[in-house]
Amino acid sequence: MEKQKVLFESGNELAAYAAKQINYHVMGYYPITPSTQIAELLDQMKADGEHDITMIAAEGEHSAAGICYGASAGGGRVFNATSANGLLYALEQLPVQSGTRFPMVMNVACRTVSGPLSIKGDHSDIMYTLNTGWIILFANTPQAVYDMNLCALKIAEKVLLPVIVAFDGFFTSHQKRKCFVFEENKTVRSFLGEYKAEYSALDLEHPVSIGSYMNEPDILNNKYQLHQAMEEAGKVIPAVFKEYHEISGRQYNMAEGYCTEDAEVLLFLLGSSYHTAKAAVDRLREQGKKVGVFTTNVLRPFPGKDLYELCKNACTILVGDRQDSYGAGGGNMSLEIKAMLQEYGSSSCVLSRIYGLGGRDFYEADAEAFFRSCYEDTPIKFDYFGVNPGNADMEDSQYFSPVTEEEASPGCTTCIFDSEKGRMKVTGGMVNKTTAMPKRLAPGHGACPGCGIPVNVNLLLKGIEGNVVLLFQTGCGMVVTTPYPKTSFKIPYVHNLFQNGAATLTGLSEMFRERQRRGEYPEGSITFIMVSGDGGMDIGMGSALGTALRNNRLILFEYDNGGYMNTGYQLSYSTPKGAKSSTSHIGPLQYGKTFFHKDMPMIMAAANIPYVATVAESNPGDFIKKAAKAKAYADNYGTAYVKAISACPLNWNDKPNLERKVIGASVDCCYFPLFEIENGITYLSYDPEKSHKKISVSEWFSMMGRTKHLADDSYREVTESIQTEIDRRWERLKARADNPLL
Amino acid sequence: MSDTIELPVTNEYGYYEIRLESIGGLGANLCGKMLGELGAVYLGLNSASFSSYGSEKRGSPVKAFIRWCEISKDIQINSPVESPHILGLFHEAMAGKMPVTAGVGQDTKIVINTDASPAQIREKLKLYAGEIICIDALKIAMESKSRVNMVMLGAIVRASDFIPLESVLCLTEDTLGRKYPHMLEKNLEGIRRGYEETRSEKFQPDGQYEKVDYEEPENKWGYKNAPIGGVNTRFGSTVSNDLSASREGYIPLFIQEKCINCGLCDSTCPDMVFQFKPGEYKGKEAMVNAGLDYHHCKGCLRCVAVCPTGALVDGIEREHPDLKWFVRNKDLIVDKLEFEDTGANSWVTSESYLTEERVDGGLV
Repeated sequence: MEKQKVLFESGNELAAYAAKQINYHVMGYYPITPSTQIAELLDQMKADGEHDITMIAAEGEHSAAGICYGASAGGGRVFNATSANGLLYALEQLPVQSGTRFPMVMNVACRTVSGPLSIKGDHSDIMYTLNTGWIILFANTPQAVYDMNLCALKIAEKVLLPVIVAFDGFFTSHQKRKCFVFEENKTVRSFLGEYKAEYSALDLEHPVSIGSYMNEPDILNNKYQLHQAMEEAGKVIPAVFKEYHEISGRQYNMAEGYCTEDAEVLLFLLGSSYHTAKAAVDRLREQGKKVGVFTTNVLRPFPGKDLYELCKNACTILVGDRQDSYGAGGGNMSLEIKAMLQEYGSSSCVLSRIYGLGGRDFYEADAEAFFRSCYEDTPIKFDYFGVNPGNADMEDSQYFSPVTEEEASPGCTTCIFDSEKGRMKVTGGMVNKTTAMPKRLAPGHGACPGCGIPVNVNLLLKGIEGNVVLLFQTGCGMVVTTPYPKTSFKIPYVHNLFQNGAATLTGLSEMFRERQRRGEYPEGSITFIMVSGDGGMDIGMGSALGTALRNNRLILFEYDNGGYMNTGYQLSYSTPKGAKSSTSHIGPLQYGKTFFHKDMPMIMAAANIPYVATVAESNPGDFIKKAAKAKAYADNYGTAYVKAISACPLNWNDKPNLERKVIGASVDCCYFPLFEIENGITYLSYDPEKSHKKISVSEWFSMMGRTKHLADDSYREVTESIQTEIDRRWERLKARADNPLL
Repeated sequence: MSDTIELPVTNEYGYYEIRLESIGGLGANLCGKMLGELGAVYLGLNSASFSSYGSEKRGSPVKAFIRWCEISKDIQINSPVESPHILGLFHEAMAGKMPVTAGVGQDTKIVINTDASPAQIREKLKLYAGEIICIDALKIAMESKSRVNMVMLGAIVRASDFIPLESVLCLTEDTLGRKYPHMLEKNLEGIRRGYEETRSEKFQPDGQYEKVDYEEPENKWGYKNAPIGGVNTRFGSTVSNDLSASREGYIPLFIQEKCINCGLCDSTCPDMVFQFKPGEYKGKEAMVNAGLDYHHCKGCLRCVAVCPTGALVDGIEREHPDLKWFVRNKDLIVDKLEFEDTGANSWVTSESYLTEERVDGGLV
């Protein structure tokens, strides 16, 4: 046995620890709860010089999978981690990886697939990967996450297939346990050995074409090869587990069980629930009940024989599925267990229970209830466990009257198109008068104290008179306003995942116009607004740009707080260069984010939409007027894009009460200049130089915990490069404002 | 510090269990992790710790769970702590309608951050029985420039009657001290004072209040009556959330005589607290600031910072029980509203960044 040490770590921490010890060449990733920590921790370790993995933060999981694929085609070791919708977004790439036979390891911290959106743990994501040609290991303790990560790469490289290490989101990914890791990285590396890729796109002496165009009769042979590799994996996995046992003292089998030998009644449970059920087994055994529980450590290849050996003596097997294959009479584990039993000619009775969806906890008492139902005379074959019919007496009176068009049209702000000047002429927009605008959002939402998102959404809506329909992309703004069974929205609202909000709103707004054209919907206007964070404008940039290029009549409103705050502040492409985030740590070898903030307004301007504007709460009058103009353009002409800089006291690490000053400073240092581009012509809304208020970017940076390290002299080069870039963008903006042709 | 400590008592599964109930930002998550590590590395126990993550389910605050057992035993159970040996309540305001004391039995030790007495707290919590240990963690945290979680940690160690103070000081030096050496003394001071300044009293089950069992939360909307697809038909229903528990001691006070009805407060308030109504100002028709609905005020004090005339000033909440300008939301059409006490959503999905030093002091 090799030397090991005790740690107190979670599944995510141990996945990261294993990756560090392996020292992968490349990790391509995109943050998604609950797997995000893996990349965060590796970034911290990178900053501290603990490994050399090239960490690439993609703009979405689809790209992250692409980065991994490209990297693995280059002959090195590749790592990724994801969950839920991220996994599904990347799904298309998974068969590409396996079908062209490039090994890599991906961790999946299992979580509910949207919609409705849930961030909690169940197995609805991982079951989508069963047909992808990846080997799938399932770790049911934090310790197993570490151990299986080490085994996974070895297995992958032996059979030339990619491997998923799956584990329960939160229950395993976030639970800290006493655990063991190898003291020396070299122990891990000698266990794995050298990797020599069979084919590489970087082998110039032996040029290969990767990714042939292949139809009949060849694809059948290609898939047969994949099948053979998967069969081979069935032999390789136990061998690797055995080898691992020799160095660690921990033995894993394809499947495992507890008190199975003489059990009449068995539970099959995947993941952390397996262990919780052991406690129920102990209690029922004390009462003389012959019960047991078994699980599988490998989903693909499915270890039918090993599982059969464990359950062959049981009369009744209850399979608890933490997902459903709707309409199939059970979740995927039920279906696979039934198929396995049929193969071995077993006559055991199989019951299926769908349980624990959306992270619903699984208690020892729940496992006892499962056992009890097996002893019923005529047990129900398939059921949902723990569902609640609801309270029939529930009072469902409304708290408010719907906001009427009349109420929402107090005439505080008006807009008329001045065809001579080619601009909207806006009047009103006074801060005091617009307090008369009814709030389209109710209070009581769960945003952090001092959060900028509701401030910005309210300022926007103060300037938009009449009917409004909102769409929020996933993000803090969405999560804090719609915590079921409550909602903050007093007007119609739709959520969609942040790759696709703009497209969804296109569909909705076009349905409105088409129904109106057919006379199915009353005349009048509705302003359609998508609200997105800067994160949604990374992963959803394609959809937003598509909408802009089609010039659909709606408003795209971006609140830019410079990070993925909803998942704990990972860098976004709009995070200032140099800022620290949980994926751009500062340390001896890293100074924070390494590239400049994205210039989204200019990207939108290049789509030649009629209206692009930037707004800041420090200039509330200007904000409200621009909102009114955006409405006028969106209702009648095409896409309006409005971007606000939005405070995040939690992750900017500053004081909530001072946020308006911090926002003001971002404007005064020209990091976030206020301007509009109206029908292609740029107008400055506020010139800090002319008002003698211009400050250096360092002054703004010193106001926030995330950037104040940059004031230190050791970061001078970084700060200067940021100042230079900001000055360059500002000078270019002024030049555009001076010349209508630019 | 790896000598094995014997657990004085364990439950039917062989575990010693701790549950922390808090509002995000007070550092209960970090406190829970430290207790978990304390068990695994410093007390020679087998140990597990985890938190309730995200809070979108009910807009509910943060819970952290710690489970210890003797080293030779496996920790099998992965579900939340139902009947804790120690219950840590990080915020007094939670002692309302939230079932934070569920599962408390007569042997439970309840450690609560409050300046009130154990007897007063028993009334407030409507507590069946148990030992109530009061600690004014907010005051001590402010004085020691530490944080509520450190003070609570000290008080929990004291309440346990078996964890050596030395072990938790040692843990703090090895973990937080290594990462944030300049804050170590303040944190140790917070822990020590937490340990020393507890006030406790034991209450027997005298029939005054009933025992509350731990139950998984259920909503009134279930599969029979909830609109399909997760559609929510009760528009604006978050208005029934009382977010008072989100405040950290301060509130904005309104001096109407000084108000010029400029509306800047309304433009900066993230929580739609200000109630502007049509009225008269300086003899002219105007939208007039009628007051604040404090149910939704999270105490961020943005309004105080932007008010140009000093009509909004900050005050210590405890000193202002009668808020003269407390008006209810003007748009409500219901006469009576049953509020649900809750906190701002506080996401604990990520830990690496949140265990960071805050500009306003302390580690969360």
